[in-house]
Amino acid sequence: MVPTEVGFLARIKTAFLPNRSVDRLTGLLFVGFWAALAFVAWVLRPFESLPGPAEVFGALSTLWWKHGMGPELFTTLALIGHALLLTVVISLLLSYVTVFAAARPLVEAVSKLRFLGLTGLVVPFTLFVGGGYTLKVALLTFGMTTFFVTSMAQVVVEIPREQFDHLRVLGASELRINLEVVIIGTLDRALDITRQNLAIGWALITMVEGISRAEGGLGAMILNQNKHFHLAEVYAILLVILAVGLLLDFAMAFLTRLVCPHAALERVRR
Amino acid sequence: MAAGEVLLDVQGVGLTLGGNAILRDCSFQVVDRVRQGVVTGQIVALLGPSGVGKTRLLRIIAGLDPPDVGRVTGYKGAPLLEGEVGVVFQHYPLLRHRRVLGNLETAGRMNGMGAAEARSRAAHLLERFGLTARAQLYPAQLSGGQRQRAAIAQQLMKPKSFLLLDEPFSGLDPSALGDVIKLLVEVANMDELNTLVIVTHDIEAAVVCSDAVMLLGREPNALGKGVGPAKIQRSVDLVAEGLAYQDDVEQLPRFAELVRDLKDGFRRL
Ligand SMILES: Nc1ncnc2c1ncn2[C@@H]1O[C@H](COP(=O)(O)OP(=O)(O)OP(=O)(O)O)[C@@H](O)[C@H]1O
Ligand SMILES: [Mg+2]
Repeated sequence: MVPTEVGFLARIKTAFLPNRSVDRLTGLLFVGFWAALAFVAWVLRPFESLPGPAEVFGALSTLWWKHGMGPELFTTLALIGHALLLTVVISLLLSYVTVFAAARPLVEAVSKLRFLGLTGLVVPFTLFVGGGYTLKVALLTFGMTTFFVTSMAQVVVEIPREQFDHLRVLGASELRINLEVVIIGTLDRALDITRQNLAIGWALITMVEGISRAEGGLGAMILNQNKHFHLAEVYAILLVILAVGLLLDFAMAFLTRLVCPHAALERVRR
Repeated sequence: MAAGEVLLDVQGVGLTLGGNAILRDCSFQVVDRVRQGVVTGQIVALLGPSGVGKTRLLRIIAGLDPPDVGRVTGYKGAPLLEGEVGVVFQHYPLLRHRRVLGNLETAGRMNGMGAAEARSRAAHLLERFGLTARAQLYPAQLSGGQRQRAAIAQQLMKPKSFLLLDEPFSGLDPSALGDVIKLLVEVANMDELNTLVIVTHDIEAAVVCSDAVMLLGREPNALGKGVGPAKIQRSVDLVAEGLAYQDDVEQLPRFAELVRDLKDGFRRL
Protein backbone atom coordinates (compact mmCIF):
# COMPACT_ATOMS: atom_id res chain seq x y z
CA MET A 1 0.00 0.00 0.00
CA VAL A 2 1.26 3.46 -0.80
CA PRO A 3 0.85 5.84 2.12
CA THR A 4 -1.19 8.88 1.20
CA GLU A 5 1.39 11.37 2.43
CA VAL A 6 4.72 10.60 0.85
CA GLY A 7 7.60 12.93 1.45
CA PHE A 8 8.91 15.05 -1.41
CA LEU A 9 12.32 13.37 -1.38
CA ALA A 10 10.80 9.91 -1.30
CA ARG A 11 8.73 10.74 -4.39
CA ILE A 12 11.79 12.00 -6.23
CA LYS A 13 13.64 8.86 -5.25
CA THR A 14 10.89 6.67 -6.74
CA ALA A 15 11.52 8.23 -10.14
CA PHE A 16 15.03 6.82 -10.05
CA LEU A 17 13.93 3.25 -9.37
CA PRO A 18 13.25 1.04 -12.40
CA ASN A 19 9.68 0.40 -13.58
CA ARG A 20 7.91 2.67 -11.13
CA SER A 21 5.14 5.07 -11.85
CA VAL A 22 5.14 8.47 -10.18
CA ASP A 23 2.26 10.79 -9.36
CA ARG A 24 1.30 13.52 -11.78
CA LEU A 25 3.04 16.31 -9.91
CA THR A 26 6.36 14.48 -9.70
CA GLY A 27 6.03 13.63 -13.38
CA LEU A 28 5.48 17.30 -14.25
CA LEU A 29 8.43 18.23 -12.11
CA PHE A 30 10.68 16.11 -14.27
CA VAL A 31 9.18 17.54 -17.45
CA GLY A 32 9.96 21.00 -16.09
CA PHE A 33 13.49 19.95 -15.16
CA TRP A 34 14.37 18.66 -18.64
CA ALA A 35 12.68 21.61 -20.38
CA ALA A 36 14.61 24.06 -18.21
CA LEU A 37 17.84 22.20 -18.93
CA ALA A 38 17.19 22.40 -22.66
CA PHE A 39 16.41 26.10 -22.45
CA VAL A 40 19.52 26.85 -20.42
CA ALA A 41 21.59 24.92 -22.95
CA TRP A 42 20.02 27.02 -25.69
CA VAL A 43 20.78 30.30 -23.89
CA LEU A 44 24.38 29.27 -23.16
CA ARG A 45 24.80 28.11 -26.78
CA PRO A 46 27.58 25.54 -26.78
CA PHE A 47 27.37 25.50 -30.62
CA GLU A 48 28.30 28.75 -32.35
CA SER A 49 25.97 28.05 -35.25
CA LEU A 50 22.86 27.96 -33.08
CA PRO A 51 21.17 31.36 -32.82
CA GLY A 52 19.98 32.31 -29.34
CA PRO A 53 16.34 32.39 -28.22
CA ALA A 54 16.06 36.16 -28.68
CA GLU A 55 17.17 35.98 -32.29
CA VAL A 56 14.95 33.02 -33.13
CA PHE A 57 11.84 34.51 -31.55
CA GLY A 58 12.64 37.85 -33.18
CA ALA A 59 12.86 36.11 -36.56
CA LEU A 60 9.63 34.26 -35.85
CA SER A 61 7.82 37.49 -35.18
CA THR A 62 9.16 39.06 -38.38
CA LEU A 63 8.27 36.02 -40.44
CA TRP A 64 4.79 35.89 -39.01
CA TRP A 65 3.88 39.57 -39.27
CA LYS A 66 5.90 40.71 -42.31
CA HIS A 67 6.39 37.64 -44.48
CA GLY A 68 2.97 36.08 -44.23
CA MET A 69 3.93 32.93 -42.37
CA GLY A 70 0.31 32.42 -41.29
CA PRO A 71 -0.97 31.90 -44.85
CA GLU A 72 2.07 29.72 -45.66
CA LEU A 73 1.30 27.55 -42.66
CA PHE A 74 -2.29 27.30 -43.87
CA THR A 75 -1.06 26.20 -47.31
CA THR A 76 1.00 23.45 -45.72
CA LEU A 77 -1.89 22.33 -43.50
CA ALA A 78 -4.25 22.22 -46.46
CA LEU A 79 -1.76 20.08 -48.36
CA ILE A 80 -1.29 17.57 -45.55
CA GLY A 81 -5.03 17.52 -44.88
CA HIS A 82 -5.79 16.74 -48.51
CA ALA A 83 -3.11 14.04 -48.74
CA LEU A 84 -4.11 12.51 -45.41
CA LEU A 85 -7.74 12.26 -46.45
CA LEU A 86 -6.79 10.46 -49.66
CA THR A 87 -4.35 8.24 -47.77
CA VAL A 88 -6.92 7.18 -45.20
CA VAL A 89 -9.56 6.36 -47.80
CA ILE A 90 -7.22 4.45 -50.12
CA SER A 91 -5.34 2.64 -47.35
CA LEU A 92 -8.41 1.55 -45.42
CA LEU A 93 -10.00 0.19 -48.59
CA LEU A 94 -6.83 -1.70 -49.45
CA SER A 95 -6.52 -3.04 -45.91
CA TYR A 96 -10.13 -4.19 -45.65
CA VAL A 97 -10.01 -6.06 -48.95
CA THR A 98 -7.25 -8.28 -47.53
CA VAL A 99 -10.14 -10.40 -46.24
CA PHE A 100 -10.22 -11.65 -49.84
CA ALA A 101 -7.25 -13.86 -50.60
CA ALA A 102 -7.40 -12.67 -54.22
CA ALA A 103 -6.58 -9.08 -53.22
CA ARG A 104 -3.72 -9.90 -50.87
CA PRO A 105 -0.86 -9.86 -53.44
CA LEU A 106 -1.91 -6.38 -54.57
CA VAL A 107 -1.95 -5.05 -51.02
CA GLU A 108 1.34 -6.77 -50.30
CA ALA A 109 2.86 -5.07 -53.34
CA VAL A 110 1.64 -1.61 -52.30
CA SER A 111 3.14 -2.19 -48.89
CA LYS A 112 6.51 -3.15 -50.38
CA LEU A 113 6.65 0.08 -52.40
CA ARG A 114 7.54 1.94 -49.21
CA PHE A 115 11.18 0.97 -49.80
CA LEU A 116 11.31 3.13 -52.93
CA GLY A 117 11.49 6.47 -51.16
CA LEU A 118 10.15 9.63 -52.76
CA THR A 119 13.11 11.33 -54.40
CA GLY A 120 13.36 8.99 -57.38
CA LEU A 121 9.63 9.16 -57.95
CA VAL A 122 9.41 12.87 -58.64
CA VAL A 123 9.99 12.57 -62.37
CA PRO A 124 7.70 9.58 -63.02
CA PHE A 125 4.97 11.18 -60.91
CA THR A 126 5.35 14.48 -62.77
CA LEU A 127 4.79 12.61 -66.01
CA PHE A 128 1.67 10.95 -64.57
CA VAL A 129 -0.08 13.80 -62.82
CA GLY A 130 1.64 16.94 -64.02
CA GLY A 131 3.41 19.28 -61.64
CA GLY A 132 2.45 21.72 -58.91
CA TYR A 133 -0.11 21.04 -56.24
CA THR A 134 -1.35 17.75 -57.73
CA LEU A 135 2.18 16.37 -57.81
CA LYS A 136 2.73 17.23 -54.17
CA VAL A 137 -0.54 15.66 -53.07
CA ALA A 138 0.24 12.56 -55.10
CA LEU A 139 3.75 12.15 -53.72
CA LEU A 140 2.68 12.69 -50.15
CA THR A 141 -0.30 10.36 -50.51
CA PHE A 142 1.92 7.72 -52.05
CA GLY A 143 4.49 8.01 -49.27
CA MET A 144 1.92 7.79 -46.48
CA THR A 145 -0.23 5.12 -48.13
CA THR A 146 2.60 2.61 -48.39
CA PHE A 147 3.22 2.87 -44.65
CA PHE A 148 -0.44 3.05 -43.70
CA VAL A 149 -1.28 -0.07 -45.71
CA THR A 150 1.63 -1.95 -44.15
CA SER A 151 0.39 -1.34 -40.62
CA MET A 152 -3.34 -1.58 -41.23
CA ALA A 153 -3.29 -4.70 -43.41
CA GLN A 154 -1.34 -6.36 -40.61
CA VAL A 155 -4.04 -5.38 -38.13
CA VAL A 156 -6.73 -6.91 -40.33
CA VAL A 157 -4.75 -10.09 -40.98
CA GLU A 158 -4.12 -10.57 -37.28
CA ILE A 159 -7.74 -10.40 -36.15
CA PRO A 160 -8.14 -13.67 -34.24
CA ARG A 161 -10.40 -16.25 -35.79
CA GLU A 162 -12.24 -16.40 -32.48
CA GLN A 163 -13.79 -13.00 -33.17
CA PHE A 164 -15.34 -14.20 -36.42
CA ASP A 165 -16.56 -17.42 -34.80
CA HIS A 166 -18.11 -15.44 -31.98
CA LEU A 167 -20.27 -13.42 -34.36
CA ARG A 168 -20.99 -16.43 -36.52
CA VAL A 169 -22.58 -18.33 -33.64
CA LEU A 170 -24.54 -15.21 -32.75
CA GLY A 171 -26.18 -15.65 -36.13
CA ALA A 172 -24.70 -12.64 -37.94
CA SER A 173 -24.52 -12.56 -41.72
CA GLU A 174 -21.08 -12.64 -43.33
CA LEU A 175 -21.44 -8.99 -44.36
CA ARG A 176 -22.39 -7.96 -40.85
CA ILE A 177 -19.51 -9.97 -39.37
CA ASN A 178 -17.01 -8.16 -41.54
CA LEU A 179 -18.55 -4.79 -40.81
CA GLU A 180 -18.43 -5.42 -37.07
CA VAL A 181 -15.08 -7.20 -36.75
CA VAL A 182 -12.98 -5.91 -39.63
CA ILE A 183 -14.21 -2.31 -39.86
CA ILE A 184 -15.76 -1.15 -36.59
CA GLY A 185 -13.66 -3.45 -34.40
CA THR A 186 -10.38 -2.08 -35.76
CA LEU A 187 -11.36 1.59 -35.72
CA ASP A 188 -9.13 2.36 -32.74
CA ARG A 189 -6.17 0.85 -34.55
CA ALA A 190 -7.02 2.73 -37.73
CA LEU A 191 -7.03 6.01 -35.81
CA ASP A 192 -3.76 5.10 -34.15
CA ILE A 193 -2.18 4.35 -37.51
CA THR A 194 -3.59 7.57 -38.97
CA ARG A 195 -1.85 9.38 -36.15
CA GLN A 196 1.48 7.72 -36.92
CA ASN A 197 1.10 8.41 -40.63
CA LEU A 198 0.24 12.02 -40.01
CA ALA A 199 3.64 12.21 -38.31
CA ILE A 200 5.32 10.53 -41.28
CA GLY A 201 3.53 12.89 -43.68
CA TRP A 202 4.44 15.92 -41.61
CA ALA A 203 8.08 14.86 -41.66
CA LEU A 204 7.94 14.49 -45.45
CA ILE A 205 6.04 17.65 -46.15
CA THR A 206 8.84 20.23 -46.18
CA MET A 207 10.75 18.05 -48.62
CA VAL A 208 7.73 17.62 -50.88
CA GLU A 209 6.98 21.34 -50.79
CA GLY A 210 10.52 22.01 -51.88
CA ILE A 211 9.90 20.12 -55.11
CA SER A 212 7.60 22.79 -56.45
CA ARG A 213 7.91 26.07 -54.60
CA ALA A 214 5.41 28.13 -56.54
CA GLU A 215 2.51 27.32 -54.20
CA GLY A 216 4.51 28.30 -51.13
CA GLY A 217 4.13 26.60 -47.80
CA LEU A 218 6.54 26.18 -44.92
CA GLY A 219 8.84 23.93 -46.97
CA ALA A 220 9.27 26.58 -49.65
CA MET A 221 9.83 29.16 -46.93
CA ILE A 222 12.62 27.12 -45.35
CA LEU A 223 14.39 26.71 -48.69
CA ASN A 224 14.22 30.45 -49.34
CA GLN A 225 15.73 31.23 -45.95
CA ASN A 226 18.36 28.51 -46.38
CA LYS A 227 19.46 30.09 -49.63
CA HIS A 228 20.29 33.34 -47.85
CA PHE A 229 21.73 31.49 -44.87
CA HIS A 230 19.23 33.17 -42.50
CA LEU A 231 19.77 30.73 -39.67
CA ALA A 232 17.53 32.38 -37.10
CA GLU A 233 14.65 32.31 -39.61
CA VAL A 234 15.27 28.66 -40.44
CA TYR A 235 15.18 27.75 -36.76
CA ALA A 236 12.05 29.81 -36.28
CA ILE A 237 10.31 27.86 -39.06
CA LEU A 238 11.56 24.57 -37.64
CA LEU A 239 10.13 25.59 -34.29
CA VAL A 240 6.74 26.18 -35.89
CA ILE A 241 6.92 22.87 -37.76
CA LEU A 242 7.69 21.07 -34.51
CA ALA A 243 4.97 22.85 -32.55
CA VAL A 244 2.28 22.30 -35.19
CA GLY A 245 3.34 18.68 -35.62
CA LEU A 246 2.99 18.09 -31.89
CA LEU A 247 -0.34 19.85 -31.87
CA LEU A 248 -1.66 17.65 -34.70
CA ASP A 249 -0.41 14.56 -32.91
CA PHE A 250 -2.11 15.64 -29.72
CA ALA A 251 -5.35 16.31 -31.59
CA MET A 252 -5.28 12.83 -33.15
CA ALA A 253 -4.69 11.22 -29.75
CA PHE A 254 -7.60 13.21 -28.37
CA LEU A 255 -9.84 12.14 -31.24
CA THR A 256 -8.92 8.48 -30.69
CA ARG A 257 -9.79 8.71 -27.00
CA LEU A 258 -13.05 10.40 -27.85
CA VAL A 259 -14.17 7.93 -30.52
CA CYS A 260 -12.72 4.74 -28.99
CA PRO A 261 -12.63 5.07 -25.21
CA HIS A 262 -12.31 1.28 -24.91
CA ALA A 263 -8.82 1.31 -26.41
CA ALA A 264 -7.33 3.18 -23.45
CA LEU A 265 -9.04 0.78 -21.02
CA GLU A 266 -7.26 -2.19 -22.50
CA ARG A 267 -3.84 -0.60 -22.25
CA VAL A 268 -2.36 -1.66 -18.96
CA ARG A 269 -0.11 0.92 -17.44
CA ARG A 270 3.00 0.11 -15.59
CA MET B 1 -44.44 -34.17 -27.59
CA ALA B 2 -43.28 -37.64 -26.81
CA ALA B 3 -40.63 -38.23 -24.18
CA GLY B 4 -37.42 -39.68 -25.47
CA GLU B 5 -37.56 -37.87 -28.79
CA VAL B 6 -34.03 -37.25 -30.11
CA LEU B 7 -33.10 -33.56 -30.07
CA LEU B 8 -29.41 -33.83 -30.88
CA ASP B 9 -27.77 -36.73 -32.60
CA VAL B 10 -24.00 -36.90 -32.96
CA GLN B 11 -23.28 -39.81 -35.28
CA GLY B 12 -19.88 -41.37 -35.75
CA VAL B 13 -17.95 -38.11 -35.80
CA GLY B 14 -14.28 -38.41 -36.71
CA LEU B 15 -11.70 -35.66 -36.99
CA THR B 16 -8.04 -35.64 -37.96
CA LEU B 17 -5.88 -32.58 -37.44
CA GLY B 18 -2.36 -32.23 -38.80
CA GLY B 19 -2.13 -35.99 -39.36
CA ASN B 20 -3.30 -36.81 -35.81
CA ALA B 21 -6.58 -38.59 -35.32
CA ILE B 22 -8.31 -36.53 -32.62
CA LEU B 23 -11.82 -37.99 -32.64
CA ARG B 24 -13.06 -41.28 -34.00
CA ASP B 25 -16.52 -42.79 -33.96
CA CYS B 26 -17.77 -40.24 -31.54
CA SER B 27 -21.51 -40.71 -31.02
CA PHE B 28 -24.11 -39.64 -28.52
CA GLN B 29 -27.71 -38.48 -28.39
CA VAL B 30 -29.62 -35.97 -26.39
CA VAL B 31 -33.24 -36.97 -25.81
CA ASP B 32 -36.14 -34.83 -24.76
CA ARG B 33 -36.77 -35.05 -21.02
CA VAL B 34 -40.38 -34.71 -20.03
CA ARG B 35 -41.70 -34.12 -16.54
CA GLN B 36 -45.37 -33.77 -15.71
CA GLY B 37 -46.30 -30.11 -15.30
CA VAL B 38 -42.73 -28.76 -15.45
CA VAL B 39 -41.01 -27.26 -18.45
CA THR B 40 -37.81 -29.28 -18.60
CA GLY B 41 -34.92 -28.51 -20.89
CA GLN B 42 -31.91 -30.75 -21.30
CA ILE B 43 -28.42 -30.32 -19.85
CA VAL B 44 -25.70 -32.67 -20.96
CA ALA B 45 -22.20 -32.53 -19.56
CA LEU B 46 -19.26 -33.50 -21.73
CA LEU B 47 -16.40 -34.52 -19.47
CA GLY B 48 -12.88 -35.33 -20.50
CA PRO B 49 -9.25 -34.70 -19.73
CA SER B 50 -7.40 -31.72 -21.15
CA GLY B 51 -6.46 -31.97 -24.83
CA VAL B 52 -8.80 -34.85 -25.56
CA GLY B 53 -10.86 -32.96 -28.14
CA LYS B 54 -13.78 -31.47 -26.22
CA THR B 55 -13.48 -28.02 -27.76
CA ARG B 56 -13.07 -29.55 -31.20
CA LEU B 57 -16.21 -31.63 -30.78
CA LEU B 58 -18.07 -28.54 -29.57
CA ARG B 59 -17.01 -26.64 -32.69
CA ILE B 60 -18.25 -29.47 -34.87
CA ILE B 61 -21.63 -29.54 -33.11
CA ALA B 62 -21.85 -25.76 -33.50
CA GLY B 63 -21.27 -26.10 -37.23
CA LEU B 64 -18.08 -24.04 -37.07
CA ASP B 65 -15.90 -26.89 -38.35
CA PRO B 66 -17.01 -29.81 -40.52
CA PRO B 67 -16.13 -33.30 -39.25
CA ASP B 68 -14.07 -35.52 -41.53
CA VAL B 69 -16.65 -38.27 -41.14
CA GLY B 70 -19.98 -38.57 -39.39
CA ARG B 71 -22.73 -36.01 -38.96
CA VAL B 72 -24.65 -34.01 -36.44
CA THR B 73 -28.39 -33.59 -36.68
CA GLY B 74 -31.00 -31.85 -34.58
CA TYR B 75 -34.68 -32.24 -33.87
CA LYS B 76 -36.37 -34.66 -36.31
CA GLY B 77 -33.06 -35.38 -38.02
CA ALA B 78 -32.75 -31.89 -39.51
CA PRO B 79 -29.15 -30.74 -39.98
CA LEU B 80 -27.93 -28.04 -37.59
CA LEU B 81 -26.99 -24.82 -39.30
CA GLU B 82 -24.32 -22.33 -38.34
CA GLY B 83 -25.90 -19.67 -36.14
CA GLU B 84 -28.68 -21.93 -34.88
CA VAL B 85 -26.46 -23.14 -32.11
CA GLY B 86 -25.22 -20.65 -29.54
CA VAL B 87 -21.71 -21.09 -28.19
CA VAL B 88 -20.14 -19.52 -25.13
CA PHE B 89 -16.44 -19.93 -25.84
CA GLN B 90 -13.76 -20.60 -23.28
CA HIS B 91 -12.65 -17.00 -22.74
CA TYR B 92 -16.08 -15.41 -23.12
CA PRO B 93 -15.45 -13.24 -26.16
CA LEU B 94 -17.45 -10.03 -26.38
CA LEU B 95 -17.25 -7.15 -28.83
CA ARG B 96 -14.49 -5.15 -27.16
CA HIS B 97 -15.52 -1.90 -28.81
CA ARG B 98 -19.07 -1.98 -27.52
CA ARG B 99 -20.45 -1.51 -24.05
CA VAL B 100 -22.23 -4.41 -22.34
CA LEU B 101 -25.65 -3.13 -23.38
CA GLY B 102 -24.36 -2.48 -26.90
CA ASN B 103 -22.99 -6.01 -27.10
CA LEU B 104 -26.43 -7.43 -26.45
CA GLU B 105 -28.23 -4.94 -28.67
CA THR B 106 -25.88 -5.63 -31.56
CA ALA B 107 -26.53 -9.36 -31.23
CA GLY B 108 -30.25 -8.61 -31.49
CA ARG B 109 -29.87 -6.26 -34.44
CA MET B 110 -27.81 -8.85 -36.30
CA ASN B 111 -30.76 -11.18 -36.07
CA GLY B 112 -33.19 -8.75 -37.55
CA MET B 113 -34.58 -7.12 -34.42
CA GLY B 114 -35.58 -3.48 -34.49
CA ALA B 115 -33.70 -1.03 -32.28
CA ALA B 116 -36.46 -0.77 -29.70
CA GLU B 117 -37.02 -4.50 -29.47
CA ALA B 118 -33.29 -5.20 -29.16
CA ARG B 119 -32.94 -2.60 -26.43
CA SER B 120 -35.81 -3.86 -24.33
CA ARG B 121 -34.76 -7.49 -24.65
CA ALA B 122 -31.16 -6.57 -23.78
CA ALA B 123 -32.26 -4.58 -20.75
CA HIS B 124 -34.44 -7.46 -19.63
CA LEU B 125 -31.60 -9.99 -19.93
CA LEU B 126 -29.14 -7.74 -18.13
CA GLU B 127 -31.62 -7.33 -15.31
CA ARG B 128 -32.01 -11.05 -15.04
CA PHE B 129 -28.25 -11.69 -15.11
CA GLY B 130 -27.55 -9.04 -12.49
CA LEU B 131 -25.68 -6.80 -14.90
CA THR B 132 -27.93 -3.75 -15.06
CA ALA B 133 -25.43 -1.67 -13.11
CA ARG B 134 -22.71 -2.72 -15.56
CA ALA B 135 -24.67 -2.00 -18.74
CA GLN B 136 -22.57 1.02 -19.68
CA LEU B 137 -19.17 -0.56 -19.07
CA TYR B 138 -16.84 -1.90 -21.74
CA PRO B 139 -15.86 -5.61 -21.64
CA ALA B 140 -12.35 -4.63 -20.48
CA GLN B 141 -13.95 -3.23 -17.32
CA LEU B 142 -15.75 -6.43 -16.31
CA SER B 143 -14.65 -9.10 -13.86
CA GLY B 144 -14.31 -12.67 -15.12
CA GLY B 145 -17.69 -13.72 -13.74
CA GLN B 146 -19.47 -10.63 -15.09
CA ARG B 147 -17.88 -11.21 -18.45
CA GLN B 148 -19.15 -14.78 -18.47
CA ARG B 149 -22.69 -13.71 -17.62
CA ALA B 150 -22.58 -11.02 -20.28
CA ALA B 151 -21.39 -13.56 -22.85
CA ILE B 152 -24.22 -15.96 -21.95
CA ALA B 153 -26.77 -13.13 -22.03
CA GLN B 154 -25.50 -12.10 -25.46
CA GLN B 155 -26.11 -15.62 -26.77
CA LEU B 156 -29.66 -15.51 -25.45
CA MET B 157 -30.59 -12.39 -27.42
CA LYS B 158 -31.81 -14.64 -30.19
CA PRO B 159 -33.82 -17.59 -28.89
CA LYS B 160 -32.03 -20.77 -29.92
CA SER B 161 -32.61 -24.33 -28.86
CA PHE B 162 -28.94 -25.17 -28.44
CA LEU B 163 -26.38 -23.51 -26.25
CA LEU B 164 -22.91 -24.99 -25.98
CA LEU B 165 -20.63 -23.83 -23.19
CA ASP B 166 -16.89 -24.45 -23.10
CA GLU B 167 -15.57 -24.63 -19.54
CA PRO B 168 -18.17 -22.40 -17.89
CA PHE B 169 -17.06 -23.51 -14.41
CA SER B 170 -13.38 -22.72 -14.61
CA GLY B 171 -11.98 -20.14 -12.23
CA LEU B 172 -15.11 -19.69 -10.12
CA ASP B 173 -15.29 -19.66 -6.34
CA PRO B 174 -17.82 -22.08 -4.77
CA SER B 175 -20.56 -19.50 -4.38
CA ALA B 176 -20.11 -18.16 -7.92
CA LEU B 177 -20.12 -21.74 -9.15
CA GLY B 178 -23.47 -22.32 -7.45
CA ASP B 179 -24.83 -19.16 -9.10
CA VAL B 180 -23.68 -20.19 -12.56
CA ILE B 181 -25.21 -23.64 -12.14
CA LYS B 182 -28.50 -22.09 -11.07
CA LEU B 183 -28.37 -19.75 -14.03
CA LEU B 184 -27.70 -22.55 -16.53
CA VAL B 185 -30.52 -24.68 -15.14
CA GLU B 186 -32.81 -21.69 -15.45
CA VAL B 187 -31.73 -21.08 -19.05
CA ALA B 188 -32.26 -24.74 -19.93
CA ASN B 189 -35.72 -24.79 -18.43
CA MET B 190 -36.91 -21.75 -20.33
CA ASP B 191 -38.16 -24.07 -23.06
CA GLU B 192 -38.97 -27.74 -23.33
CA LEU B 193 -36.69 -28.10 -26.36
CA ASN B 194 -33.72 -26.19 -24.97
CA THR B 195 -30.52 -28.18 -24.85
CA LEU B 196 -27.34 -27.14 -23.10
CA VAL B 197 -24.11 -28.99 -23.73
CA ILE B 198 -21.54 -28.15 -21.09
CA VAL B 199 -17.89 -28.98 -21.59
CA THR B 200 -16.04 -29.20 -18.31
CA HIS B 201 -13.41 -30.88 -16.16
CA ASP B 202 -15.46 -30.30 -13.05
CA ILE B 203 -17.12 -33.65 -12.37
CA GLU B 204 -19.09 -32.59 -9.28
CA ALA B 205 -20.52 -29.50 -10.96
CA ALA B 206 -21.37 -31.57 -14.04
CA VAL B 207 -23.31 -34.14 -12.01
CA VAL B 208 -25.09 -31.42 -10.02
CA CYS B 209 -26.47 -29.54 -13.00
CA SER B 210 -27.01 -32.04 -15.78
CA ASP B 211 -29.35 -34.87 -16.58
CA ALA B 212 -26.75 -36.87 -18.51
CA VAL B 213 -22.98 -37.08 -18.38
CA MET B 214 -20.73 -38.18 -21.24
CA LEU B 215 -17.13 -39.14 -20.76
CA LEU B 216 -14.97 -38.29 -23.77
CA GLY B 217 -11.66 -40.10 -23.67
CA ARG B 218 -8.99 -42.07 -25.46
CA GLU B 219 -8.59 -45.81 -25.27
CA PRO B 220 -6.29 -46.75 -22.37
CA ASN B 221 -3.23 -48.80 -23.41
CA ALA B 222 -1.58 -51.63 -21.43
CA LEU B 223 -0.05 -49.10 -19.03
CA GLY B 224 -3.42 -47.50 -18.40
CA LYS B 225 -2.51 -44.35 -20.34
CA GLY B 226 -4.93 -42.92 -22.90
CA VAL B 227 -3.71 -43.09 -26.49
CA GLY B 228 -5.14 -42.57 -29.97
CA PRO B 229 -8.34 -40.82 -30.98
CA ALA B 230 -11.07 -40.09 -28.46
CA LYS B 231 -14.70 -41.13 -28.40
CA ILE B 232 -17.52 -41.24 -25.89
CA GLN B 233 -16.32 -43.92 -23.50
CA ARG B 234 -19.20 -43.84 -21.11
CA SER B 235 -22.50 -42.10 -20.68
CA VAL B 236 -24.51 -41.90 -17.51
CA ASP B 237 -28.23 -41.14 -17.42
CA LEU B 238 -28.62 -39.14 -14.24
CA VAL B 239 -32.40 -39.31 -14.41
CA ALA B 240 -32.25 -43.09 -14.27
CA GLU B 241 -29.72 -42.79 -11.44
CA GLY B 242 -32.17 -40.65 -9.51
CA LEU B 243 -29.70 -37.77 -9.43
CA ALA B 244 -31.45 -35.25 -11.67
CA TYR B 245 -33.77 -32.37 -10.77
CA GLN B 246 -33.00 -32.28 -7.07
CA ASP B 247 -31.73 -29.54 -4.84
CA ASP B 248 -29.04 -30.78 -2.48
CA VAL B 249 -28.23 -33.69 -4.74
CA GLU B 250 -24.71 -33.53 -3.25
CA GLN B 251 -26.08 -34.93 0.00
CA LEU B 252 -27.15 -38.23 -1.57
CA PRO B 253 -24.83 -41.20 -1.05
CA ARG B 254 -25.32 -42.20 -4.69
CA PHE B 255 -23.91 -38.79 -5.73
CA ALA B 256 -20.62 -39.32 -3.93
CA GLU B 257 -20.42 -42.85 -5.27
CA LEU B 258 -20.98 -41.81 -8.88
CA VAL B 259 -18.54 -38.89 -8.66
CA ARG B 260 -15.87 -41.23 -7.27
CA ASP B 261 -16.63 -43.71 -10.00
CA LEU B 262 -16.39 -41.05 -12.74
CA LYS B 263 -13.15 -39.68 -11.33
CA ASP B 264 -11.74 -43.18 -11.45
CA GLY B 265 -12.78 -43.60 -15.05
CA PHE B 266 -11.41 -40.14 -15.84
CA ARG B 267 -7.96 -41.05 -14.61
CA ARG B 268 -7.74 -43.99 -16.98
CA LEU B 269 -8.58 -41.95 -20.13
N1 LIG C 1 -4.82 -27.08 -35.63
C1 LIG C 1 -4.48 -28.21 -35.00
N2 LIG C 1 -3.56 -29.05 -35.53
C2 LIG C 1 -3.23 -30.20 -34.90
N3 LIG C 1 -3.73 -30.57 -33.72
C3 LIG C 1 -4.63 -29.78 -33.13
C4 LIG C 1 -5.05 -28.55 -33.73
N4 LIG C 1 -5.96 -27.96 -32.92
C5 LIG C 1 -6.08 -28.79 -31.85
N5 LIG C 1 -5.30 -29.87 -31.98
C6 LIG C 1 -5.18 -30.99 -31.03
O1 LIG C 1 -6.48 -31.49 -30.83
C7 LIG C 1 -6.60 -31.96 -29.52
C8 LIG C 1 -7.92 -31.54 -28.94
O2 LIG C 1 -7.94 -30.15 -28.73
P1 LIG C 1 -9.12 -29.46 -27.92
O3 LIG C 1 -8.88 -28.02 -27.92
O4 LIG C 1 -10.41 -29.93 -28.46
O5 LIG C 1 -8.90 -30.08 -26.46
P2 LIG C 1 -9.84 -29.93 -25.17
O6 LIG C 1 -10.35 -31.28 -24.86
O7 LIG C 1 -10.83 -28.86 -25.38
O8 LIG C 1 -8.78 -29.53 -24.05
P3 LIG C 1 -8.90 -28.45 -22.86
O9 LIG C 1 -9.72 -29.09 -21.81
O10 LIG C 1 -7.49 -28.31 -22.42
O11 LIG C 1 -9.50 -27.21 -23.42
C9 LIG C 1 -5.40 -31.45 -28.74
O12 LIG C 1 -4.59 -32.55 -28.40
C10 LIG C 1 -4.71 -30.53 -29.70
O13 LIG C 1 -3.31 -30.66 -29.59
MG1 LIG D 1 -11.00 -26.92 -24.66
